[in-house]
Amino acid sequence: MAVKIRLRRMGKKKAPFYRIVVADSRSPRDGRCIEEIGTYDPNQDPSAYHVNEELAKKWLANGAQPTETVNRIFKNAGIVK
Amino acid sequence: MFWSVKKKYLTLLFLFGILDKVIVMEEKIRQGYLYDFYGELLNEHQRSIFESYVFEDLSLAEIAEAQGISRQGVHDLIRRCTKTLEDYESRLHLIDKFMHIRQKVDRIHLLTQQEASGASMQEIESISSEILEEL
Repeated sequence: MAVKIRLRRMGKKKAPFYRIVVADSRSPRDGRCIEEIGTYDPNQDPSAYHVNEELAKKWLANGAQPTETVNRIFKNAGIVK
Repeated sequence: MFWSVKKKYLTLLFLFGILDKVIVMEEKIRQGYLYDFYGELLNEHQRSIFESYVFEDLSLAEIAEAQGISRQGVHDLIRRCTKTLEDYESRLHLIDKFMHIRQKVDRIHLLTQQEASGASMQEIESISSEILEEL
């Protein structure tokens, strides 16, 4: 069972706000997520992100796959190198 | 000859310098904005795929499986859509204008918050909030 860490776009039109969520890759569309581990706000300059490092590391250790975009945020946050 | 080559190179560097400043935005964030402004100009099929890619951050393979088309097909469609939307932006500049106005209104907001609270300051602040909402 593949578990993924992805961004989910919340917020409204023209004011994007993202949550970083852990979700099962087999149920992509229904919007269910296993856990919410952070947020990402590109409206601010520079973009603000907030990641629960402990949870992120736990999921990564359990083999959850971050998407490219999430991976870049993790890199910025110093969670992965 | 040498000079012309060098000049070209410099122009290129210069261009990249500018591009760097304009496009600091993450690709997917940019695509999200493009969709917000021009998404309704795509057809329904394109919209649903573009949405899963940009809003749900699904991988190409995941979208392909859900839609019953090939991964390559999804890739091409997203690239084509992005190109179409960027083309609209290059003609209409709605996102560009939006960003500039937002920056300025943000600045107004900040300035009014610093001032001692007079009635007119409060009004300026509420008007600038409204402008931000309406953009």
